[in-house]
Amino acid sequence: MLKNKLKIPDKTRKPFPDRLGSLVIGFDYRDGENAGSDAALEFGEELETIQPNGFGSDREFEEPDDGVEEGRVQDEGPTGGGAAGGGCGGGEPEFRARQRPAREGSVPVSVLEVIAADEKRSDVQYEISQEEINLEKLQRIASKGLPDEGGLRATTWKLLLGYLPPSRNLWEKELSENRLKYAKLKEDLLISPSEFARRKNLDFSPCETEAGSDVDGPLRRHQISQEDHPLSLGKASVWNQYFENTEVAEQIDRDLQRTHPDMKFFSGETAISRRHREAMRNILLLFAKLNPAIRYVQGMNEVLAPLYYVFSTDPNEQNAANAEADSFSCFVRLLGDSVDHFCQQLDNSSVGILSTLSRLSELLKTNDEELWRHLEFTTRVEPQFYAFRWITLLLTQEFSFQSILRIWDSLLGNPFGVQDMLLRVCCAMLLCIKSRLMSGDFIANLKLLQHYPDINIEHLLQVAMDLTPDTSSYRLSL
Amino acid sequence: MVLVLALGDLHVPHRAPDLPAKFKSMLVPGKIQHIICTGNLCIKEVHDYLKTLCPDLHITRGEYDEETRYPETKTLTIGQFKLGLCHGHQVIPWGDLDSLAMLQRQLDVDILVTGHTHQFTAYKHEGGVVINPGSATGAYSSITYDVNPSFVLMDIDGLRVVVYVYELIDGEVKVDKIDFKKTTTTTAH
Repeated sequence: MLKNKLKIPDKTRKPFPDRLGSLVIGFDYRDGENAGSDAALEFGEELETIQPNGFGSDREFEEPDDGVEEGRVQDEGPTGGGAAGGGCGGGEPEFRARQRPAREGSVPVSVLEVIAADEKRSDVQYEISQEEINLEKLQRIASKGLPDEGGLRATTWKLLLGYLPPSRNLWEKELSENRLKYAKLKEDLLISPSEFARRKNLDFSPCETEAGSDVDGPLRRHQISQEDHPLSLGKASVWNQYFENTEVAEQIDRDLQRTHPDMKFFSGETAISRRHREAMRNILLLFAKLNPAIRYVQGMNEVLAPLYYVFSTDPNEQNAANAEADSFSCFVRLLGDSVDHFCQQLDNSSVGILSTLSRLSELLKTNDEELWRHLEFTTRVEPQFYAFRWITLLLTQEFSFQSILRIWDSLLGNPFGVQDMLLRVCCAMLLCIKSRLMSGDFIANLKLLQHYPDINIEHLLQVAMDLTPDTSSYRLSL
Repeated sequence: MVLVLALGDLHVPHRAPDLPAKFKSMLVPGKIQHIICTGNLCIKEVHDYLKTLCPDLHITRGEYDEETRYPETKTLTIGQFKLGLCHGHQVIPWGDLDSLAMLQRQLDVDILVTGHTHQFTAYKHEGGVVINPGSATGAYSSITYDVNPSFVLMDIDGLRVVVYVYELIDGEVKVDKIDFKKTTTTTAH
């Protein structure tokens, strides 16, 4: 048995180079009945703090009854695995069911899955349709993952971010107020100077322009103030500000071209995609103007992308049409906590990115000292080499789009705030590939961490939830 | 919102050493999309300088230009406006509005830009506009010595053009503007 344990990691690595160590061992092969128990033991090796039974307990609404296991549509024989051992066995095949569809889309989804998805959807719908929404309950549901259809995710995210108030009857008022505010902001800050000049002109001399149009002869010259011409170099000039912003605008445009090139929504050449990019451009430009301290930092487009996507794919017509305004407000709220990470001057302060990275280190130390020691001292892979992007971009660059949406469900659903959950997920990411990290040197580890391999997202989030919090430097983020 | 710079009659180096410093400090690359130049630069160095301000440069030949291959007249379409360019020494009497109008009808343009007189003028005539940006360096002309350096910047925005006139009077830059709206749209061809 021991020999098998040592050999299997090597075998697995060859056919599935992007899979992770022992996580997959139990699930890949038609090893038969021992698969389940082997997996259990591997888990014991990898993740000391996790109880295999823990899997079953949280899924109270997904496991209506064990007897349905036989009814599942699957290739290999789960019954053998199911018999492997009590609650643990009950937990594993559940897991397998979830993982199979994630890997091969062609495998039919189990009946259990469909039931679970339906229940989840009705749960969310029920919560949202209350007059006074219980945010805590919603957070708990969100942490388990939100359904993709029906615009439920959009509404839930808006509630969790605090954009929509918990009282349903205030929604109309809040939404229209905010959307109006956004429109006005756009008008004030994003107006082109010619437009601005035209409006000023109309205010002062509406009749003159009409009279001049029919009469031939020398054209009348109007006096203008010194600042009001396109070549003006004055600070207060609308034109000068406009040209200063073109540099930022150009960078934003470049980044937008590169956002999710595999998704037609963002990168297509149709008028709709262009409109989406324009909307995102407006949001980012506005944000840059309103926050002169950080302006625009490369990567903010990635943080905006999931928000905007979720809001504009809302089946509700009105919501989808106003996705730009809603995304702007939610984007501001989301970045509210982490805006300090982008400011270079604050790097070394207690709110800066370095302090957050050290909190991550501490969290890892509390949960798995061996791995921490290996990373910090043996291989000297410091968090700023890999986790900087994880934290500032809220993991948008590490996973596929669907996974990002699922991870963000958990991030937003954490009662202690996005940042807290983010650190937990980062730590879990490290724990889940522990075996590969332990056996790697500086270069191999860095390469692995900077191109994080595909893993089962539900498992990752479960690990994150079960982590011991680091109480030495505990900070309540509300 | 397209910015078009119109200037001409610099006569560098024969009659003037260079553009006035105050003009040069304002003319920075990156802001202007097109430059139209009536002619009489006269040397290649000025051509290169203008190219650095904006890569899209249109020039017509003035009688003292050392580059012989510039065209006599030029037309281009920017937004909804058709612009015509000519130095103006070919149109006799020099600076006469009716003769220039004839040229405008010939070229079939909305805005005709000519030079040679070294005096800024802007006329509205039969639905079109005739603009003379004057001399950007203040060089003396065949007619007079009393010349203020001037040039013109046009902001073309849909059917409306705002003409900003920059003049250097007594060492200070004075800016005025002129509004002009076109009544019909240009058909694309």
